[in-house]
Amino acid sequence: MRKTLLSLAILSLAAAPAFAGNAVGDTAPAFKLTAMDGKTYSLADLKGKTVVLEWSNPNCPVSARHTREKTMIELSKLHGEVVWLGINSTNPNSGDYMKPAEELAWNQKNGINYAVLADPTGATGHAYGARTTPHMFIVDKDGKIAYNGAIDDDPPGRKAKAERVSYVGHGLDAEKTGKTPDPATTHPYGCSVKY
Amino acid sequence: MTATKIVPLSAAVTLAFLAAFAPEPARGAASEWSVNPQSQVRLVTASKVAPRTGELWLGLQFRLKPGWHVYWKNSGDAGYPPAVTFQPADVLGKPEILWPAPLRFNLPGSLVAFGYENEVVYPVRARLQPAPAPTPEPLKITADLDYLVCQVDCVPFRYTLTLEQPMGDRAEPDPEIAPLLQAALDRLPKKAGEVAGVTTEVSLDAGFTNGPDLEVRVRGARADAGKTDLFLDSNDALEAGRPRIRVLPDGVVFHVAMKPRETNKPLPARTPIAWTVTNLVANGRAFSLEARRDVEVSTGAAGPPAGSVPQPPASPARLARLLLSALLGGALLNLMPPVLALLLAELFALRAGERGRAREGAAAVATGIVGSAWLVALLAIAAHRAGLPAGWGAQLQEPVLAAFLAVISAVAALNLWGVVEIPLAPADAAAASNTSRHLLAGLFAVPLALAWPVPFLQEPISYALGRGPATVAAVFAVVGFGLALPYLLLAAVPPLVRALPAPGGWLPRVREGLGFLAGTGAFWVLYALSRQVSPEGIAFIELALLAMALLAWLRHREGSGRAFRAVLAVGLLTCAAGALWLADHNRLIPRTATALSTTQTTATTNTIPGG
Repeated sequence: MRKTLLSLAILSLAAAPAFAGNAVGDTAPAFKLTAMDGKTYSLADLKGKTVVLEWSNPNCPVSARHTREKTMIELSKLHGEVVWLGINSTNPNSGDYMKPAEELAWNQKNGINYAVLADPTGATGHAYGARTTPHMFIVDKDGKIAYNGAIDDDPPGRKAKAERVSYVGHGLDAEKTGKTPDPATTHPYGCSVKY
Repeated sequence: MTATKIVPLSAAVTLAFLAAFAPEPARGAASEWSVNPQSQVRLVTASKVAPRTGELWLGLQFRLKPGWHVYWKNSGDAGYPPAVTFQPADVLGKPEILWPAPLRFNLPGSLVAFGYENEVVYPVRARLQPAPAPTPEPLKITADLDYLVCQVDCVPFRYTLTLEQPMGDRAEPDPEIAPLLQAALDRLPKKAGEVAGVTTEVSLDAGFTNGPDLEVRVRGARADAGKTDLFLDSNDALEAGRPRIRVLPDGVVFHVAMKPRETNKPLPARTPIAWTVTNLVANGRAFSLEARRDVEVSTGAAGPPAGSVPQPPASPARLARLLLSALLGGALLNLMPPVLALLLAELFALRAGERGRAREGAAAVATGIVGSAWLVALLAIAAHRAGLPAGWGAQLQEPVLAAFLAVISAVAALNLWGVVEIPLAPADAAAASNTSRHLLAGLFAVPLALAWPVPFLQEPISYALGRGPATVAAVFAVVGFGLALPYLLLAAVPPLVRALPAPGGWLPRVREGLGFLAGTGAFWVLYALSRQVSPEGIAFIELALLAMALLAWLRHREGSGRAFRAVLAVGLLTCAAGALWLADHNRLIPRTATALSTTQTTATTNTIPGG
């Protein structure tokens, strides 16, 4: 009995999470998730391509503002060379949760033309240390995290769109020319991810 | 929750409404309240009549519905701090928001936000500019404000707040608002160094396998583990984990695991650390403290471990002193109630055993103790490697481990009551001569002892954790020797055992009595656990322990069939595992969390002129 308990205690210690590998330069945590339209996306299949991950939640007013202002929609169009993926880590018990079909319809109605993946367990969100909606990551062609932070420098959306510094936009420009994003990390803003 | 769904729409409507009907400026020391379902906000001025030069004190006064919060300069894992611009800029310059001491809000998913609830006034300091042209008076002051108010859901708001500020050659404070703003200024964190008798130290040690360890130490003030808290501004190079607090008799120490934001770049040699420690008391006054300093990122090969003072280099004298301290601490553990119960029961068992077997038995107990101490050393090394607190006392901070210790104490009590037949310290002569049973008793003594804080152990163990596995093993072995001291003595001089009364009919009674002593261990651990686990969690863990006792008692009753006994044994194990599971799932403090930030403040002592 004592042995069982001891091994339980050891297991519980071993299972305590260290920091997730979400620092710039770390290998991006692998994921395999189903999009709202039922297609499956795996990060491993996207090697060789630059990938943008956008944590999103249509019921978060900050995400919704960027949708209304077409921030992500236009940036993803401008950078056709990258794979832009939304990820919604909302817990199905949260009032913000939308069923995939419901969210797909919402996305289509609002012009979101990239895939949004469902992460109802929050496992991928926690692996990336995603804290806010929107929280942005750029994964470079080698599968390493190249940027971790906010979409831009204007949390409340006070400035005209052209006056905002788009950290992700600059990061993607840098990636395109073989440089690294600068800044490579910023403070993400928005609603908390509804784990 | 339907309210959430209409939020973007309502926010848009609010904005459109405000654009169409910009409110008339309020007369006097405050703007009209801007009101929404979650909060209300207005712009205030401390001056009934403001001076034409110098400083003008304004404020943003928020009232929040219960459960909603607005943000500190570092909003934490979510949200964003209020943003505001003031007009006319040619008169007011760029007014600066000052940030009162924040609170911590735990969000689902181990996220944390920093901010304010109920009511908060953000003081705003404007330095009046020499205006290029005479400005019409009264001065019409406009604040364009954006803020996010959240509970778990968030709602953004944008308002234009306006007031008319009379100006004059002689300043005159507003009798209502000046005291309000002065109270807000008094609640701003004091600059470290400005409170008499209070000193602070900050160090950052990058010599840790799991990333740098930030230590913030305040001396000369009283702290309260439940209230005193550490908040950090954002740092470009390092991301802060959740602070761990240790209250000292004359102050407080925080340790924060810092994680490099970019692993493909070396850490800078120095980095600015801006910190705020809230809810301190000195000279009978409550205050918060803040400082911002460039801190050297030291990469000393042997860094100071969590929870200890920076170590001088290893010296044989120091090591000898610490080992002696470990021995003493280990010996003291024998006085902790459940350990004492086991010790006495074991001594009686050795007395009851065959003549001439006492030495062998005592040696077996000692061996068990030292072996068990080494197992614990392995656990401590693993915990330290994983970046978890691992010093003496840390075991009670991890709910699962603490629950395990409670179970162990309960099992010891049940054993002494005779209902769990783990053959510890057996009463009958034949069994008492069985060496392996004594060994088992030794193995059991260490987890019983683990739950008790004793002096002398903290420093050697912290020191050892900073030195490496070999030192940890050595120190724990010495602690084990300390704990085994009575048995070692007996093994050296076996006839000593004859000093105890000869066994008789009284022995089972005494053993049962000792069971109660052992049971106190479970209560002590549950008390310690009440800071880590919710009251419901504690209640259910107690039920699980009680169920264990019931099942053990049922199983012990004579006449039960084999199969029935097996079922009960499985039930017993399930209850024990259940207690650990309950501790894990009712923890008040999430396992890990991260916190970030944005801007800095530079406040000195603030006083409203004439206010």
